[in-house]
Amino acid sequence: MDPRAPVGTRSVTVAVDAMGGDHAPDEVVRGVAMLSLEAPHIQTLLVGDGEKIGALLAKERHDPERIAVHHAPEAVAMWEKPADALAQHPGASILVAAQLVADGAADALVSAGNTGASVLACARTWKRIPGVGRAALASVYPTEIRRGEKDDPFSLILDVGATLDVTAEDLVTFAIMGSAYAARVSKNPRPRVALLSNGAEAGKGPPEIVEAHKLLKEATELNFVGNVEGVDIPRGSADVVICSGFVGNVVIKMLEGVSETIVRLGHYASKEKILWRAGLALLSGGISRLKEVTDWEQYGGAPVLGFDRLFIKAHGRSRARAITNAAKVAAKAVQAGLTDDIEKALASFASRRAA
Amino acid sequence: MARDEKDRRKDKERRNPVAPGGPSLLAAQPTPAVVPAPRHVYRWDLDKTYLKTEFDTFKQLLRSALEGAEAKQSVPGASALLRELRAGGGARICFISGSPRQMRRVLTKKLKLDGVEFDEFILKPNLRNMLTGRFRAMREQVGYKLPALLAGRAGLPPETRETCFGDDAEADGFIYSLYGDIIAGRVKRRLLEEILERAGTYDDDAQRAVTLAEALPTGEAVQRIFIHLDRRSPTSRFDRYGARLVPVFNYFQAAMVMFEDGQLSAPAVVRVALEMVDRYGYTIDALRNSLQDLLRRGRLRRATARTLADELTPEKVPQLGALPSARELLISFATRVRQLGDVPSMAIALDQPIDYLAALEADLPRKGKKRTDIAPPIT
Repeated sequence: MDPRAPVGTRSVTVAVDAMGGDHAPDEVVRGVAMLSLEAPHIQTLLVGDGEKIGALLAKERHDPERIAVHHAPEAVAMWEKPADALAQHPGASILVAAQLVADGAADALVSAGNTGASVLACARTWKRIPGVGRAALASVYPTEIRRGEKDDPFSLILDVGATLDVTAEDLVTFAIMGSAYAARVSKNPRPRVALLSNGAEAGKGPPEIVEAHKLLKEATELNFVGNVEGVDIPRGSADVVICSGFVGNVVIKMLEGVSETIVRLGHYASKEKILWRAGLALLSGGISRLKEVTDWEQYGGAPVLGFDRLFIKAHGRSRARAITNAAKVAAKAVQAGLTDDIEKALASFASRRAA
Repeated sequence: MARDEKDRRKDKERRNPVAPGGPSLLAAQPTPAVVPAPRHVYRWDLDKTYLKTEFDTFKQLLRSALEGAEAKQSVPGASALLRELRAGGGARICFISGSPRQMRRVLTKKLKLDGVEFDEFILKPNLRNMLTGRFRAMREQVGYKLPALLAGRAGLPPETRETCFGDDAEADGFIYSLYGDIIAGRVKRRLLEEILERAGTYDDDAQRAVTLAEALPTGEAVQRIFIHLDRRSPTSRFDRYGARLVPVFNYFQAAMVMFEDGQLSAPAVVRVALEMVDRYGYTIDALRNSLQDLLRRGRLRRATARTLADELTPEKVPQLGALPSARELLISFATRVRQLGDVPSMAIALDQPIDYLAALEADLPRKGKKRTDIAPPIT
C-alpha cells in the first residue's frame, strides 16, 4: 500500500486463506473472483493449493490483474486442534498467509477457516499493539436502532471467542478497540460503549465486570453509557457491547440461532395453512428486507482486534458473497487506518492513567 | 477517360476495398509484384479487441456510432503492440471489423491518431445488408468474417504465417480457429458446409467460403490466436480451441506470449508494458499478476519470464530508452518477477482436435437459443 496516498483512495492488498472454511477452496476462490471484478482498489493474495486455485479461477469470471496466488502446500482442517494443527502443518495456508501479511506482502488477512488456528497463526507471526494484553474477536449484529452518519443498522460486540477468561483491564482494552472500530469503519464518530452484565447497576455482575465498570467510567476517551443487559443487545441501546469471549460467543450464537429459527418457523407456517401462506406472501417484501439485514453473509466477517495487522474472520460456512464482503471490510478498515487509531487511543488512555 | 477520373476511381477502390457481393475485393487480389510478400500477417478485430467499445445497450451503440475519433478509447497496450509488430518488419496488419462501412473515416482516423499503420481495413456492409433485406447478415459473424479472412489469405504465399486477435464478446475464437484449421486442411468440405449452415450463413456467403477454402494451398498458417477477454470470460471457455488460442486479459500478456514465440523482442515487450503504465495507469503489481496468470494457466514457460527479468537489469534498462522514472519501475518489476512464487501450472490437454459443431452450439448465438458459455458484460 502506498502510504503517501490519501486515506480512502489507497490500494489495499488482502491476503485470503483459500483453503479455510466449510466450502473452501471453491467458494473462497469464487468470492475472490467476484471481488476482483467489483473492487478495483483491492488486490488479493490468494494463499493455498496453487493448482486447485488455478483450476478454479479458470472457471470463473475474474480479473487476474488484481489477483496473485501464493502456493501453500498444506491446510488446517476445521476440526483440528489449533496448536497441534499448526505444529503438524508448517506449510498451512493460514500460517503462510499470516506470515505474508507480517512480511508486508499484504495489508490484512481474511480466513473462513478454523478460528483457533487462525488467531494462533496471527499471534505467532504478528505483534500485539502496545497496551493490548489479549486479542478480541468482534462481531456485528443487526439492531432496532440505527447509528452513525451511514445510518448503520449494526452494533459491535466483542469479544466473541478469542479470549475466554478476561480481566477488567482486558475489557477496557476491548472497549477502546471496539470504539475505534465503530468510529472508523461504521463512521460513528462517538459510539456508545456498554458493558454486558446481569443488571444496569454499576455493582452488578462478577468482580471483573464491576472493576471494568469503574475503569471505564474514568475513561474519558470513551462514550461509556454503563451496563446493559441481554435484552438491550438487539434493541441497539449501545453501539459497542463489551464482554468476555465466553459470554460473547454464547450471545452471538444465540442471535444467529434465533434468526435461523424465525426463518424456519416462516417455512413451517407457509406449509401449515393456506391463509398463513397468503399472509407471508403479503409480507414477503418486508421479510426479504429483514432477511437482508440479518443475513451474516452481507456483513462479511468479524475483525480480530489487538494485533498490529488486521484479520477478518469470516464465518466457517461462508460462501462466495461472504468472502467478498469480508475482504471489502478488511480493505475498508485498512484504508481507515484502524490499527493506527487503536494504537493511538490505547497510548492516550495509558498516558492519562499514568498521569 | 480523363487521367484525373481514373486516379479518383483507383483512389476510391483503395479506400473501399470491399466490393458489393464479396467481402473483400482487395484482399482477394494477388499482392502487387512490387510489394514484397509479408512474412507474417496480423489480423485484428476492432471493437473490444483494439477499441474499448461498449455496445451492449442501444444507448451505448448509438454513442459508439456517433462519437468522433478523438473520443474513442483503445484497449491498453493495443496500439503499442501494433506499432511494435509493424516495426519488426515484414508484417502485414489487417483489420476486420463488424462495424458498418460508414464508420471507416472515423475509425481510420483513430488508428492514425494512435500511430497505428495498417494494410487492409475490412468493414461490414451493414447498410447494403439492410437495404437488400439480409437482416440475419447484420448480426451473423461467421458468414461475414470467414469468407473475408479466406479471401485475404488467397493472395498470400503459403509460407506466410498469421496471428489473429479477437475478443470474447463475439465468436472470434471460433472463427479464427476454423479459419486456421481450414488452411491446415483439417476441416473437410462437408463439415465446413454443415458448420456454415448451422451458423445461419446465407447460401451465397457459404458458397463463397467453401470455394475460397478449396482454392487455398494447405499449410499451418495460423500460428497463434489471441482472444482479448473484454468481458473477463472464464478462460476455460476457450480450452476447446487448443494451445494455439490464448485467452488474454491484456496486451502485456499477448506480448509475453509473442516474446516466447520469437515474434517480439524483450525491448518491444517492455515498450508495450510502459505504454500500459504511462497512459493507462497500470501498476507493477497488475503486470506481475498478469504474468503469473499466464504461468498458472500453463500458457508461458517460467524460463521466458526469467529471460525478460534478466533483460531488465540496471545496466540493460537504460538501453531500452526508458525515462529515469520508468527505469526504476522496470527494475522493480524485474525483481517482482524473479520473486514470483513457485505456483504450480495447470496441466491442460490442449492439442485435441476441435469439435466445431459442439463449439458452435456453445459459442454462437442462435435464434431462440442463448449462448451457453458466454459471460455478460462487466457493468
